[in-house]
Amino acid sequence: MNQTTQVTQKIDLANVAARAESASKIYGSGESEVRALDNVSVSFERGKFSAIMGPSGSGKSTLMHCIAGLDALTSGSVYIGETDLSKLSDKEITKLRREKVGFIFQSFNLIPTLNAYENITLPLSLGKSKGDKAWIQQVIDTISLNDRLDHRPSELSGGQQQRVAVARALATRPEIIFADEPTGNLDSKSGGDILKFMRRAVTDLKQTIVMVTHDAVSASYADRIVFLSDGHVAGEMTDPTPEKVLDFLKHLGE
Amino acid sequence: MFRLSLKMTIARKGRLFLTSLAIILGTSFLSGTTIFSDTINSTFDRLFTDVFRDVDAYVRSTDSVDTGFGEQRAPSPVAVLDTILKVKGVSAAVGDMQSYARVIAKDGKPIGQDQGPPTFGGIASESSAGLWNVEDGRLPVGAKEMMLDRETAEKGKYEIGDSVRVTALSGTRQFTLVGIANYGDISSPGGATFALFDQPTASEFLLKPGFVDAILIQGDGTLSDEELAKTINAALPVDAKLETLTGAEITEETTSQIKTVLGFFTAFLTAFSFIALGIGCFVIYNVFSITAAQRQRESALLRAIGASRRQVTVSLLVEALIVGVLGSVIGFVAGIGLSRALSALLNAIGLEIPTKGLTINSNAITQTVLIGTVITVLSAILPALRSGRVPPLAAMRDTALDTVQKLTRRIAIGLVLIAAGAVGLFASMNGADVAILGLGVLGVFAGVLVIGPALSKPVAMLLGKPVSALRGVTGSMSQQNAARNPKRTARTAAPVLIGVALVTAFTALAASIKNEIRESIGSSFRGDYALSVNSRGFGGIPTSVTDQLTQLAEVDQATGVGFIAAKVGDESPFVLVFNPKTADGLYDLSMVEGTQKGLTKNEILVEADKALNKNLTIGSKVSVTLVDGRSTQLTVAGTYTDAYGNYAISRELFEGSATPLFDSFVYIKTAEGVSDENARTAISAVSQDLGIGTLESRDEYIDTQAAQVDQFLALIYGLLFLSVIIAIVGIIITLLLSVFERRREIGLLRAVGMTRSQVRTMVRWESVITSLFGAVTGVVLGILTGIVIVVSLNDSGFSAFTLPIGNTIFILVGAFIIGVIAAVFPAWRATRTEIISAIASA
Repeated sequence: MNQTTQVTQKIDLANVAARAESASKIYGSGESEVRALDNVSVSFERGKFSAIMGPSGSGKSTLMHCIAGLDALTSGSVYIGETDLSKLSDKEITKLRREKVGFIFQSFNLIPTLNAYENITLPLSLGKSKGDKAWIQQVIDTISLNDRLDHRPSELSGGQQQRVAVARALATRPEIIFADEPTGNLDSKSGGDILKFMRRAVTDLKQTIVMVTHDAVSASYADRIVFLSDGHVAGEMTDPTPEKVLDFLKHLGE
Repeated sequence: MFRLSLKMTIARKGRLFLTSLAIILGTSFLSGTTIFSDTINSTFDRLFTDVFRDVDAYVRSTDSVDTGFGEQRAPSPVAVLDTILKVKGVSAAVGDMQSYARVIAKDGKPIGQDQGPPTFGGIASESSAGLWNVEDGRLPVGAKEMMLDRETAEKGKYEIGDSVRVTALSGTRQFTLVGIANYGDISSPGGATFALFDQPTASEFLLKPGFVDAILIQGDGTLSDEELAKTINAALPVDAKLETLTGAEITEETTSQIKTVLGFFTAFLTAFSFIALGIGCFVIYNVFSITAAQRQRESALLRAIGASRRQVTVSLLVEALIVGVLGSVIGFVAGIGLSRALSALLNAIGLEIPTKGLTINSNAITQTVLIGTVITVLSAILPALRSGRVPPLAAMRDTALDTVQKLTRRIAIGLVLIAAGAVGLFASMNGADVAILGLGVLGVFAGVLVIGPALSKPVAMLLGKPVSALRGVTGSMSQQNAARNPKRTARTAAPVLIGVALVTAFTALAASIKNEIRESIGSSFRGDYALSVNSRGFGGIPTSVTDQLTQLAEVDQATGVGFIAAKVGDESPFVLVFNPKTADGLYDLSMVEGTQKGLTKNEILVEADKALNKNLTIGSKVSVTLVDGRSTQLTVAGTYTDAYGNYAISRELFEGSATPLFDSFVYIKTAEGVSDENARTAISAVSQDLGIGTLESRDEYIDTQAAQVDQFLALIYGLLFLSVIIAIVGIIITLLLSVFERRREIGLLRAVGMTRSQVRTMVRWESVITSLFGAVTGVVLGILTGIVIVVSLNDSGFSAFTLPIGNTIFILVGAFIIGVIAAVFPAWRATRTEIISAIASA
């Protein structure tokens, strides 16, 4: 625990896209109290592809939801850039999610009544902003969906839907993108494509991505992995390979 | 399986509540009107049993005319009393009278209104056969004395010894109040007023000297009522045209007559309660359809673990049964409250019903619960069958929300229905029966409802265009949401559609009738002022008033017009009675053939269409029988177009008749150079003395006559208001279910940056678009129906149709507001969607 805290403090604050400080999330009270997050401090570097790993119930999704402003902490604080989310109203947090955060969920990422292009630009339209046309075109080129833009989600394959979701997350050029098991519902070929797109978004387009996953192969696409167990940070790893990850998880289980 | 259904029903409290709500609304009005009718009926049963308690036999004339608005009977000669009193077994007999008399209060204003409960004049007698019990003072004796019922005395602030002014058939007179009486045990029946006199005064003042309406007889107890009636009947002169009824018979007849009159009212209420129920059906059907779709996975799971199709279907029907019974029972209870509200409403408009609590018959609850349950189960059949057809594999799939079925068959069926309806309408426009018109309208309505889902998508997209342009992506999502499930949108909008179509059609019809009234009166009434009452058939302005007015220096000419029940050929209509001697140039019937001038008492005028219909031409003979039984052969002297009533006769025909004749209108032409103020002052002096009649200038009078249609329209609006409430509730239920169904979508939208207020906007506009879809289709359908009805009921064709532009705009704005109101709660619920759990519920 102390070890990991020291690790985070070594990182230059100006280069941090998002961080959590002594974050705790407690469900229920008394006998039935569950500590989903227990005094977690962690930060995610700008321009990097980070992964959060851990077994079911380790608190990895909760951590992501809280940092992304989808859920509120019981105590502690989370920051997107320099903004302390605990000080914001629901309206301000919504605006922040719209402008500074991108999301890719495991499934049901797209609004069925909107076509692919409308889905991609949805956060911009909600904020009544036109966005950066050239950037959006660049994003669409990257995910190679030019010929599918006027299709409804129901007319796209699962892999194509997730590619649209990636493009939507990138469209506002956010501070940070959160991906929650983005390949969980895909076959390995489509899943691999999505991970490659995300990798390119970080390397070529200089974006920041934090991905929650329990899959060692997916996690190995990241620059750095933070391991969570029982609501605690259980360690981290830079430049992971699937073997190293599986090895670490084996030890975590012991 | 039943137990499982029960458990699943109870587990989904929200769904249970929403479904019940639709049933409660539908059944409460039905139970309300049923209880209300039962209460009225039992009240009058009790009242007349009480009133005729001491009457063992009843003698009356055999001559009567039944116009459909209550029976009018010829008077009986009072001389027959002597004969009856001599019959063995008779202990007492007395004349009875229920003629028109209006009591004027101390402030000069009449007690009672033209359209309120009747104002009667009657006989007060010491005989134990009489209906009145003296409470205070004594019985009136002679031409100068009278008695009042307690309630009227209180209303007029009259005390014994006061001088009271009364207007009746033979004009206005002053009497001294000598007593106050009760009718049976109560102060006054149904808010009616009673002025009571001794028999000779009553006959002379209210009817005709020597005549009464009927004779009440009390036996001495030696004979049964049946034997007594038989004995009396045998003693009556053979040529007197009199008949004898037992006390039980006259009680029964009086009660059933009152019930018939009130029956129009209760039938009207019942008709609307069934409209409400029908509209409720749509909401129930819609709720079951949506919930059946939402629990597709649940049904599929049941199928996967081994439930048969039938079991799945039956489980949903069992749920419908449970909800149906539950909702109907609550609806019945709510109906008790509604019937109280109806009573209060009637009291407020002066139609007091002397109720002693509500009458709740056991068959009222049986009927409500039975009908409510049956329609609920029927509404659930289609959705239940659909549920049964869900393949077990659907349990593994994501719920398919946007089931776009082929609409071809639907459109085909709808078009066939509309076409069939149109044929009926076309036939009725060319003179077919009114029933065909009704069937045609029904066919077109049904067709439009069937086609609805095919219409809802394009229309919703069109209506949503401005919203999308105005509100950006939020508005565009409202538009898409309203259009994404065409069947649901169509079903949700159906109550609005039906309500709006009915309102529009009635409004169009009313506007056209008003126009016609204006034109008709405008062309027939050529004078400057009109004195009018609004009580055709019972009472009115004494005919002597015309003479009084003519004598005024300010008045050049005055003529009275009345209406009277008579038998004409094989019909019993109200016949127009005018005075050909004074009407010339003042009251013009717009003659087609012949002339109204100099119409004699042996001649009759016939409305042009009626003449055509009955094959009558100038010179034809028509037999006319007045209420007193006097029959005459009249010669058709001409045909006319513009007037109330299909037959017109001369006042001369009534000279010497015992039939009471009043005027309903007196038309007045002022002398040259008389100012409005002077004319009004002079005429008012006469009319105020009568305490009856409204004095209006020509324009005011025409406005008032046309405005009478508005009262009818207001009643219809009031009742259709109920369907508006059901429509709102229907939209609320659908939106709530949609919001629940789109939980994940809303969660996602919130996650990627949609604010709560944008969520509200999105739901609100979806609601408005849905409501407007119903309103727009309803208005179109209503106007078309209105045109057809007007054209088929009217001879002047399309020109008679008046487009109610103001009302249409009002309806569309109303639909907009309905949409906004209905969205409030669902929109709020939508903003409360928890993002995390919505996204997590994969």
